Amino acid sequence: MKVIQARRERQDKISKLMGDYLLKGYKMLGECCDVCGTILLQDKQKKNYCVSCQELDSDVDKDNPALNAQAALSQVRERQLAAQSTAPSQAPEMNEGPSSSQASVSVPLPRPEHCEGAAAGGRALLPPPAVPSPSPPAPTPTLAPTRPPVIPQTAGLQPVLQEAEEAILTKLRWATNQLQSSASLESSIQLCSLIASCANSLRSLKELSQ
Amino acid sequence: MSRLTGTPFPYRGGGGGEKMTGPERAGEAEENSESVGMLPMEHLHLEHVLQTVCVLESVVLRSFGPEGGQVLFTRDTGQAMLSRSGTRILTALRLEHPLARMVVECVLKHSTVTGDGSKTFILLLASLLRMIQKTACKEPNVSHTYNSRETAEASTARHLADKMLAFALEELDDIIAMGVVPYGCCLSWEDFTAKTQLPTCPINHCVQKLLASFFHSRLGRTHCDFISNLTCEMLTHWKFKSDLPSSLLQFVNDNFSALHTPVSGFPISCSRLIEGQVIHRDFATPCPQADHQPVKAVVVTGCLQPKLLSAGEVLVLGSGEQGREENSRKESSIVQFTAWAERSLECVIAKLQSLGVSVLLSAVKQSAAVLALAAQADMCIVECVSEDELSLFAQLSGATPVSDCWMIEPEHVAALTFCRPILLGAHRYVHVAFHDSEERITVKPCSLVICGPGEGQTDQYACAFQDAIRMLLSTWEPIDITATTASKKTLQPNKSTCLHVDNQIVKASPFQQCVLEPGCVIPAGGTFEFLLNHALLQHGSSCSISDDTIMGAPAVSQLFANALLSVPRNIYFYSLRRFLQTQTRLLSFIQNHSHPFSHVYKQEHNTIVVQGRGKSECPLEEGKLINHCCGETDVSSQVFMSDSGLESVSCKYQLLVAVLQCVSSLLHVDTVLHTHTALHTPSRRLADISWEGTEDEAED
Repeated sequence: MKVIQARRERQDKISKLMGDYLLKGYKMLGECCDVCGTILLQDKQKKNYCVSCQELDSDVDKDNPALNAQAALSQVRERQLAAQSTAPSQAPEMNEGPSSSQASVSVPLPRPEHCEGAAAGGRALLPPPAVPSPSPPAPTPTLAPTRPPVIPQTAGLQPVLQEAEEAILTKLRWATNQLQSSASLESSIQLCSLIASCANSLRSLKELSQ
Repeated sequence: MSRLTGTPFPYRGGGGGEKMTGPERAGEAEENSESVGMLPMEHLHLEHVLQTVCVLESVVLRSFGPEGGQVLFTRDTGQAMLSRSGTRILTALRLEHPLARMVVECVLKHSTVTGDGSKTFILLLASLLRMIQKTACKEPNVSHTYNSRETAEASTARHLADKMLAFALEELDDIIAMGVVPYGCCLSWEDFTAKTQLPTCPINHCVQKLLASFFHSRLGRTHCDFISNLTCEMLTHWKFKSDLPSSLLQFVNDNFSALHTPVSGFPISCSRLIEGQVIHRDFATPCPQADHQPVKAVVVTGCLQPKLLSAGEVLVLGSGEQGREENSRKESSIVQFTAWAERSLECVIAKLQSLGVSVLLSAVKQSAAVLALAAQADMCIVECVSEDELSLFAQLSGATPVSDCWMIEPEHVAALTFCRPILLGAHRYVHVAFHDSEERITVKPCSLVICGPGEGQTDQYACAFQDAIRMLLSTWEPIDITATTASKKTLQPNKSTCLHVDNQIVKASPFQQCVLEPGCVIPAGGTFEFLLNHALLQHGSSCSISDDTIMGAPAVSQLFANALLSVPRNIYFYSLRRFLQTQTRLLSFIQNHSHPFSHVYKQEHNTIVVQGRGKSECPLEEGKLINHCCGETDVSSQVFMSDSGLESVSCKYQLLVAVLQCVSSLLHVDTVLHTHTALHTPSRRLADISWEGTEDEAED
């Protein structure tokens, strides 16, 4: 029941966002997004934009243990209950699970990160080179880099941070170029907010590596 | 194999299709089913349909209702315009999704008939689809075998929609007539403005009130009274005493473009009525000061001077007499011909002069020779007058247009009181006034000058006027009844005053003497929806309970009833408390006065209510109670104590039927075929959206 309600709320949010965009002058296309099935919008620069993929949390990835530490934790807990085996064999697994997923993370998703409270926050922000999309007008609030949970894993952390820094710098450069050549007010505002969020994430990365 | 049949909805969409090598599809979607396999297809699910409509709903939601906001339209040129009109907002959206375009087309078509209710259309559509989806997801029809759950849901939804449409076409008007109409009242066509009413009525309930609430929701509260007064004045001038309201309104609606002049650059309070007709062209020759009356005018549809050599014509020159010798060669040259043509033109002008004609209204551009001769003869010419204006002129003056310039008879001559230039805004037009003739003695033709601050605003005001006329027309037009119900009821279209309830009724009960009469109105603010909701729930519970499935009549009416409540909920979106208050007040009122014809109540306040036969009023504001008295006493005045405005019942009924038809069509679409070529030429309405050939086809 809660799932249905949550889904309905999400659909309402999507409709409201799409309505806002239509009133701003975006075009509603006749195609659907391949990932989530939402109707695609196209802005005046002919770039396609999917509201649910690029702005809202994905409905499905919340439950994917490879991408979400909490889901991994709950999956492990379920396995514990089902198997009813002793804890020690599971404990290192539990600790390994989330961090191993982070170390090997290389998902090119244009999604904002979220700090998920006690559990380690989830996904690295790797701006996509392939998917053309200007930054969404609702800028990403916080871009927390990957954080190891309990066991310090500095060895595996540095390359990840460096990669993240490089990617952010690339994006910053791209945004600056676009800003110089941009003619429309809307896109300039969006690019400035992208630059601001890139700067924030760089700052947090620097704090982390200290 | 079900097809989209019988619905007036063109559903050609636009949008980038994929390149394909299949045969080009030219023609309607009903053909060419054999080429289906080669085209890329996209299956539609219920969620897609719902999402499309919900997006449109979120667009119009904020401008809905009297408390709704306005949308600011800006162009790249810097022009800006504020509007609240649903059709304007929807046509300004850039939509390439075929379903969305289909819905917008339905809304536009509905709006050309009733003039109002485009946002309500979308709201009802969205809430109906939501209800249908909820019901279909809960219990898909398990009696058939389907490939997947989605197909089962889709087919359940389709059946539900069909059932609701059938229900609406058969029983809805009865339910409205029994459950809603008693709480409204019938406006008489005679009660135009407050001045024509008897002094015993404290508050005017009249056509002007209906118009005022329409303009309030369309244009805002500042100018609604002024504009509604202006409209009433105009309709009063045009009233044909012996005619029906619907014929007058139809006439004004058809000729509206010729009957109004938009003038931008002035405040709206400068709008006024002008006597006579304004022809939207200027004089081509200087207008002589004609002091004598009446001024005679002739309408000419062709060129007075025959064109000499047009492409494709062969001119054979010959002398009049056969067998002439050498002289013939000299006389049959083109020069003689042109001289002859001009002489004949002089004859025509002389004939016109002999008839005393001093104004020529021409539908085409006349040649320079004509202009020169006419100026010499003290005649003024107006060129390139549009056909609508000429036909209106001909109707009002009683003169037939001249088709053959060789035969100009007195019957082609119109008598005008004056014909002079008039300066309206930045343009100079021709202003004519008609001589009173015996047939037209009751009608004073007048033309409307609509002023607005900018061009966009003026256009909006003009559209609002025309939509108000359409709304009045659909209020007073006899309801379009289907063949099955035609036998049950008889309408009396020959009465111009309020109809009495002497019609034959299906259930011959002494209390239920209500029909969906022309001119029936009800207080605005969600009253119609509340009352209909209650009536539908009652109808559902009184139906036979043997049919307990979701397709049964009780379930269908309940679904419909719940969907209806979304309209008042959105009217009172700013205050849930207000919504609940209105609902409880109405329900308690209904329960107290369940038989409006059988009770007499004392009045609580110092207001006089006299009840007519077969009518009842319900004021629904601030706790004032209604006073009914039923009976056979003839009514002399009616009182309608409501501050929330009025709305027309027949417009609402047509809206409901149109929404259900749209729902049914939407749910019958289940495949989208992308084609490469354009199927139709661009429609003038959606001129900024290019039709690039995405097509829907209904397949089962």
